[in-house]
Amino acid sequence: MKRKGVFLLLILTMTLFLTSCWSKKELTDLAIVAAMGIDKTKDGRYHLTLQIINPGNVAGIQGGGGGTQSPPITIYSASGDNLVEASRRASGSISRRLYYAHTNLMVVGEELAKEEGINTLVDAFDRDPEFRNTSTIVIANHSTAADLVKTLTPVDKIPANKVLKTLEFTERKWGENIKTSLQEVMKSLESPGRGTVVSGFRLVGNPQQAQKLDNLQESAPGATLQASGIAVLKQGKLVDWLYGKSARGTVWILDKIQGTDININWGGRKQAIAYQTVRQKTSVSAQVKNGKPHISVHTRVEGDIGDMEVPVDITNPKVITKIEQSVRKEIKKELKTAVERAQKNKTDILGFGEVVHRTRPNQFKKFKTEWNDVYFPKLDVDITVEAYVRRAGLRNKSFLSGLKENQK
Amino acid sequence: MEKAKISASQLFILMVLFELGSALLVPLAIDAKQDAWLAILLGMVFSFVLLLVYHKLYTYYPNLLPTEYMQRILGKVLGTVLAFVYILYFMYDASRVLRDFGEMLLTFAYPDTPLFIANALLMLVIIYTIRKGIEVISRSGELLFIFMYVLAVAGFILIVSSGLIHFKNLQPILEEGLSPVLKVVFTQTLYFPFTEVIVFTMILPYLDNPKKAKVTMLCATGLSGINLIITMLINVCVLGVDLTARSQYPLLSTIESIQVANFLERLDVFFMLALIITIFFKICVLFYAAVVGTASLFKIKSPSRLSYPLGLIILFLSITIASNLQEHNHEGLKVAMFVIHIPLLGIIPPFLLLVAFFKDRKKHGKNTFN
Repeated sequence: MKRKGVFLLLILTMTLFLTSCWSKKELTDLAIVAAMGIDKTKDGRYHLTLQIINPGNVAGIQGGGGGTQSPPITIYSASGDNLVEASRRASGSISRRLYYAHTNLMVVGEELAKEEGINTLVDAFDRDPEFRNTSTIVIANHSTAADLVKTLTPVDKIPANKVLKTLEFTERKWGENIKTSLQEVMKSLESPGRGTVVSGFRLVGNPQQAQKLDNLQESAPGATLQASGIAVLKQGKLVDWLYGKSARGTVWILDKIQGTDININWGGRKQAIAYQTVRQKTSVSAQVKNGKPHISVHTRVEGDIGDMEVPVDITNPKVITKIEQSVRKEIKKELKTAVERAQKNKTDILGFGEVVHRTRPNQFKKFKTEWNDVYFPKLDVDITVEAYVRRAGLRNKSFLSGLKENQK
Repeated sequence: MEKAKISASQLFILMVLFELGSALLVPLAIDAKQDAWLAILLGMVFSFVLLLVYHKLYTYYPNLLPTEYMQRILGKVLGTVLAFVYILYFMYDASRVLRDFGEMLLTFAYPDTPLFIANALLMLVIIYTIRKGIEVISRSGELLFIFMYVLAVAGFILIVSSGLIHFKNLQPILEEGLSPVLKVVFTQTLYFPFTEVIVFTMILPYLDNPKKAKVTMLCATGLSGINLIITMLINVCVLGVDLTARSQYPLLSTIESIQVANFLERLDVFFMLALIITIFFKICVLFYAAVVGTASLFKIKSPSRLSYPLGLIILFLSITIASNLQEHNHEGLKVAMFVIHIPLLGIIPPFLLLVAFFKDRKKHGKNTFN
């Protein structure tokens, strides 16, 4: 009898343990934060802008409902002396618990990045168990983070996704932008004598228009988000924006480029042949000669011909060799631009210091403290490029060659 | 001592799970920076020497628990005191591991739950297992060992296939020379986790085939050492040295970095499962050693009855040994290492062996004279 009583008691207490309702989070009580923007207020505090998913409306719009829709996201904002305070303060205006596990995008306002740098922001994200440091970090180019986060976007209903996917595809196809995760940025900021690059994003158009649902009801929205430039950070502070060739060259040396298009001049016409790269590998090595560091960058590219705007007879292998040579020159010029720009900024975003550290650890100790300001700007950089044309699409001679021959 | 027998393969599995235990959790040997793997490797190699010492002691007294043969070697009073010290050490170590478990769970997944509840739930299961005896522990070990390795291999494949491994993070090798690595070896990796297996001397008398003891011990330490080396290599390759050193649980951060094909990500549960399995066995073995040791020291007929009181002591100890995680880690790496691990694992056993050796020779010497 006594045994049974004890057993009963045990089962009763077990039910208490097994309810698993300690700090439960119901889905309907969560506000899923898709993106967050961080700016600086005038009095020097952090201003947090949270892009929260409106679950009902994400599905609703795809169905093509009427004019009474509400947007797929809702924006809340709050300020605080640090990020945790701001996030907790925001709960005053949101009916749900803020849930950061799906925050894939964090946007830092340009002003904040320039004046204070992102170093002070990192710890709060790195420490929090809910927030993942694989999230992408973006610096708002020529706008505040708030404006960027507030913008509604067509096609991809959730603006955070639009930003991430844009970065991903442009990195793959064009290579002037780069997708940087918080973890990568942290790692390169921590590395001795190294600057870092962060992707830039920009709001093109009127910020007021961008927040309205009307914006989406035009075929050519008045305000759109656009990947724009690469931010150069020195000791966490924004010092320069890279665009165009210097941006692509930087991505190239970092070996992050996946595919792009190189134009070469041919037969007196500028940018006449388009060379589409398929795969490339860049390696950086370091020597120390007479107490001076010396860097060599070697890159190897394979690709196809995508477009010829002049009649070229590529059935002749010698022509191909000539094309390859001009491609090499073109790429080398681009990489050189990137190196020179980085040296001008006195910021080792290319990770050359790291290479010296890895291969010549003892000599690097001497350079370490003055790497960015003394050694890096004067660095001898030797660039070698190997470029190969492998295929040329479905045709051999150009359409223009056909025209030329028949008109003779 | 209960009447039970375990096979060599079961001992092997228990030892591997034991040594992985909380060592998988922490940034092991990270004071050696990118050479952490080397420090673990050397720690493993040097630990073989101490393992052979433990084994030699066992061959002198194959049917006795260490708590018993300490009395034979050092005499009744001194031996009893020393045996009691070892029992306290096993319990303290068990409570440290339990605390590690609770802190990991609370930091990462259950921030609002009190530590006591998390620890108590695991402890309840462990008390139940201990009551069932060593055979049940080792059989459940066999079952979960397979599960654990499936998880480990799957995790490994995912990490490799998401392209996170950057071997250049391991360079430069031996940047500051060999001395910092050796320092880490002799103040950390040699003792934690490798020679912590001294607790298995309490279990060796249950082995059905004593001849296999040596090979099993060395192989188990070798396998777990290799696993720890791979884990630390991956951590450093994925996260880099600085981030690994700053992480409370680097393996968790590594697994969180997995992103395969945009949908295989956030596999933290892999980490949790592996950790709960290994920690469960680590506490089980330490706790079991404390239980049988106490029973033999105080001549208690059925050791399993001790599991409730000792279990509660471990549970409360795990809450009270430190007031926060930082204090707990500091105690483990800086205080307990020198006050407890080095004397109890590194100094006393060879000393015991020396005394046992001379006693043995004396005995044999007499025999030849007569």
